[in-house]
Amino acid sequence: MTMIGPLGFAAPWLLLGLIALPVLWVILRAVPPAPIRRMFPGVVLLLGLQDDDQITDRTPWWLLLMRMLAAAAVIIGLAGPILDPETDDRITGTVPILVVTDASWSSAADWRAEMQGLDALLSRAERESRPVALIRLTDPQPPQFQAAGVLRSRLTGILPEPWQPEPAQVERALALLPDGSFDTYWMSDGLARGSRGGLLDALEARGAVTIFESPRSHYALTPARFEDGHILLTARRLRPGPAAEVTIAGHGLDPAGNPAVLVRTPLTFDQNATEAELELNLPSELRARITRFEIDGARSVGAVTLPDDSLRRREVALIAGNDNREGLELLSPLYYLQKALVPTADLLDGSLTEVLPANPDVIVLADVATLSPAEQDGVLEWVEKGGTLLRFAGPRLAASDVSRDSEDPLMPVRLRAGGRSVGGAMSWGEPKTLAPFAEESPFFGLDIPADVTVASQVMAQPDPTLADRVIAQLSDGTPLVTRKREGQGQIVLFHVTANAEWSSLPLSGLFVRMLDRLAVSSMPARPDAAELDGTVWQPIRVLDAFGNVRDAGTLPGVEGPKLLVDPLGPNLRPGLYQGEDRSLARNVVTAETRFEPVTWPDGVPVEGLSRPQETPLGGWLLALAIALLLADVIASLALSGRLRGGRPVAAALLAGLMLMPVDSRAQEAAPDDGFALQATAEVTLAHVITGDPRIDDVAQAGLFGLSEILFFRTSVEPAEPMGVDLETDELAFFPLLYWPVTPSQPTPSPAAYAKLNEYLRSGGMILFDTRDADVAGFGAASPEGRKLRDLAAPLDIPPLEQVPQDHVLTRTFYLLQDFPGRYNSRDVWVEAAPPDAELVEGMPFRNLNDNVTPVVIGGNDWASAWAMDERGNPMIRIGSGFAGERQREIAYRFGVNLVMHVLTGNYKSDQVHVPALLDRLGQ
Amino acid sequence: MSDQIALLRRDAQEEASRFPALLARAEHLAGTVLLGEHGRRRSGLGDDFWQYRTLRPGDSYRNIDWRRSARGDEQFVREREWQIAQSVMLWVDTGASMRFSSGKELPTKSDRARLVALAVSILLVRGGERVGFTGWSLPPRNGDIQILRLAEALATDGTEDYAPPEARGMLPHARALFVSDFLGDLAPVEAALTKAADRGVRGALLQVLDPSEESFPFKGRTIFESVGKTVAHETLKAGDLRDRYLQRLAERKGRIRDLCRLTGWQYSCHHTSDSAQNALLWLYRAMDGGHG
Repeated sequence: MTMIGPLGFAAPWLLLGLIALPVLWVILRAVPPAPIRRMFPGVVLLLGLQDDDQITDRTPWWLLLMRMLAAAAVIIGLAGPILDPETDDRITGTVPILVVTDASWSSAADWRAEMQGLDALLSRAERESRPVALIRLTDPQPPQFQAAGVLRSRLTGILPEPWQPEPAQVERALALLPDGSFDTYWMSDGLARGSRGGLLDALEARGAVTIFESPRSHYALTPARFEDGHILLTARRLRPGPAAEVTIAGHGLDPAGNPAVLVRTPLTFDQNATEAELELNLPSELRARITRFEIDGARSVGAVTLPDDSLRRREVALIAGNDNREGLELLSPLYYLQKALVPTADLLDGSLTEVLPANPDVIVLADVATLSPAEQDGVLEWVEKGGTLLRFAGPRLAASDVSRDSEDPLMPVRLRAGGRSVGGAMSWGEPKTLAPFAEESPFFGLDIPADVTVASQVMAQPDPTLADRVIAQLSDGTPLVTRKREGQGQIVLFHVTANAEWSSLPLSGLFVRMLDRLAVSSMPARPDAAELDGTVWQPIRVLDAFGNVRDAGTLPGVEGPKLLVDPLGPNLRPGLYQGEDRSLARNVVTAETRFEPVTWPDGVPVEGLSRPQETPLGGWLLALAIALLLADVIASLALSGRLRGGRPVAAALLAGLMLMPVDSRAQEAAPDDGFALQATAEVTLAHVITGDPRIDDVAQAGLFGLSEILFFRTSVEPAEPMGVDLETDELAFFPLLYWPVTPSQPTPSPAAYAKLNEYLRSGGMILFDTRDADVAGFGAASPEGRKLRDLAAPLDIPPLEQVPQDHVLTRTFYLLQDFPGRYNSRDVWVEAAPPDAELVEGMPFRNLNDNVTPVVIGGNDWASAWAMDERGNPMIRIGSGFAGERQREIAYRFGVNLVMHVLTGNYKSDQVHVPALLDRLGQ
Repeated sequence: MSDQIALLRRDAQEEASRFPALLARAEHLAGTVLLGEHGRRRSGLGDDFWQYRTLRPGDSYRNIDWRRSARGDEQFVREREWQIAQSVMLWVDTGASMRFSSGKELPTKSDRARLVALAVSILLVRGGERVGFTGWSLPPRNGDIQILRLAEALATDGTEDYAPPEARGMLPHARALFVSDFLGDLAPVEAALTKAADRGVRGALLQVLDPSEESFPFKGRTIFESVGKTVAHETLKAGDLRDRYLQRLAERKGRIRDLCRLTGWQYSCHHTSDSAQNALLWLYRAMDGGHG
């Protein structure tokens, strides 16, 4: 490295090439520009004229200077100039370099700076030809020394992991350290860890160790807690400092299902405080939607926390069979349930049909016997989607026939008639107590208070499936609680009432815990490892080190105890885990996480990540050389007269050289306004150009004839009809589009169909004419009919019907009952009348569609009947003799009616009200 | 080819339609004796009345105007004005040097020359003149069919680089119109004009030049070539030649102008960048009122 001021050169000997520049100057100066051959008749006047200057025309000095500069830029650029090269003596040497990076979640916050710093170190190592190896402490792999350039090219692929180096991983890294001596760069994440000391000692034994560490203060967010109706969030920072404000954002899905920031609140750290607490008060709907909290802009998984079910309050709908016993609150079937659930769940009131759309987590039916079929279907569907239906028995259920002969879909078991009563005044025996819960029961492990007794219950019918469905039973073995899985949900029946009438269970704490176990209420406390023994939790969403949420994909499930206690690592990533009936979140930062800055021993050099940035100038110089050469091209052209000033060619050339994006749309021909003007100056009928010249001519002549007839007979005075190319022409100008269907015409492009649909929706009308007289019946085997079906399939066409007798088409101008063209078939189809259109007493017509029918479909070859030559003579013979002429006349009348219908809409249809209006006016 | 002719004719008719019928002024009545629409201010064969004069011996009885004679004792003969048509001879340069234009938007010199020549021809023919080419290729005639012939003849290109004017076959006391860039040798021009003057032929000389020939906007090292590539000149600094070139051009124009003054012709220089009507207007004046 040779230094000239702040400039260093990678290949200084190349600068010798600069010596050649003066030689180049002389050579270039000696060579005149090449002559142009130019045609010029006035050359005879030039003959014999001598140039004043006998010496060759020299290249001007400024052009030469430009070329010299270009050559110099190339030479200097290739010599590899670097501005502010890395010249730190401390990290010079010849031994290999080992880069140790913590690559933990805490590194992620400054990962970009860390990689840039590392890049600068590596570029220096590359120049000094020192081999480099890299080891990530979060995921130690055997380091291999290789050229620094190879590692530099891989830098973007080196990412931090969303956990921190555990002692085991550091042990492994120690074991993997290469032999021999090497210098170490340690990219530290700044967190204190007990394992650092041993590693530092080992590294210092091999060579110099330099620590690189960001002095920035990192933030961390501990998991959200839910207390007293508030969400509590605690943010921590690594180093105390001046008062600072961060923004906490709660992300989740908005009601439309799109990811959105649902809540954003500032949080202020007091001066020198390392912790700040935020109390969020959110409506339960909003709270339930929040999928993660994060500190805005922290870019580290430590600043992200996923709430699991602990934050979510369940919505429970309580529905009782009878609410008519006012004043007897303690006897209300729901009283104890409300008491048990209010602290932990959101309760919904209302009838079953009102509650179902809110999609509650649990519906409690207390002594509700029969449901209407609609309610039953709704509830069943809701259960299959994951709802929990919790039923309580009671006098009504016992008295009803529900689930008596066959199992009711919404009951877990069949019931015997009557139920039983034990320990009452009229019965023998003592009230029964509960038997201990079986191991497979969700209630397993709950203590049973001795004072819980059951006096009455409904009895389950013995059944082969009964044993599987019992989850709690009395001491005599009769089922007390039965459960049935239905789809993703469950149906649970307590065989006693929800109040204290039949048993003392609702009075006991056991009742609340049983509801907890059934996930009726939310779980305020995290389960402990013993509880999760034997369960497997499937990751749903995992977090990467930067706090991005990823789909878990095919990551394997995690055993319950490990999920709770194991440190995070490759096999246990932070994220959300789904268990049987609830989800658990593993967050990187918890309340127990040690979050303190590391203190390095004295004598170990610690540097910030920001280093003086080296700026290689070679690329810029070479670019300058190219720019100069391009300028030289233009200047040379200009000098030799090939580039005349003000020519568009020159401008385009310049624009091209500047690599400026040229807006190609600007060069497109402006749309031809002539078409639009012609089509809109007057009412203009139009036909679709089919590509068959004969058909198109007839269509043109037919519309011409119809236009003439309209002109003579009505106040519609159309202009010359036009042919329309569906692909290129605008359709919106035409009230009526006549579309003769030929089997050979091309199917329009999707864009053309979009245009056609837009046209139909905005009130246009298409008259489809298959011209085959419907010989085979509508839509059947004629080729035109098939083609019509193909053509019309993508069109937005409403249901059709044959023109009814009272359709407005029959009376918009003439009174018509037939719509003949060249053929006379009755099968003409228009938009169907609405089903509720009825003939009102005293009205001649039904009050039909409010709109113009968007399509009229038929096969009568109207254009042929309308076709007229320039002199107004019919072009095509219709029928024979006078009858044929009469048919043509009716065809014209149909055409007039059609155009009138398009232009006036339901005006004639509204006339049906005239008698009524007159009547009302007393006329 | 026939398309080009039709186009040329159409363009020329458009130009000609903007003018009133042009009646060329006849200075001399001698020579051609065919009937035209120009009264020669003397009695002769014609349709228009000129004067009555008393019967003289030798007059045919057939010529006596009996109506006039009946009013007196003398017999009168009705004399009619002697009418002739003027002959106009065209020469339009067909040399390769005319097929040059310095820009895409400019017509070539030969285009412009032909257009102007044919426009004038049409005006003349409509005015009853007889128009033809010098030389013997297309003698002067009148009538619309002659316009067709002229247009066809004008569409032929010559092969020489700089064509000398055709001065043969000029009818005495006819009018003549030479259209060329006059960049070739001036000696034949001089000879042609002298010969015309000898025969009493007077006329107009229209020099058609491209704007680049007038301004010489060239720079740098250039090899100039004639259109036919027979003449070439190389220069290292075209810009330096400009003043001398322009001086030579001015000299040449001056020489032609002097020549015209000597022989009683009229001279004008027309640039292809200007409107063709300028040239036609000038020709109108030159052929109609120049010697009024």
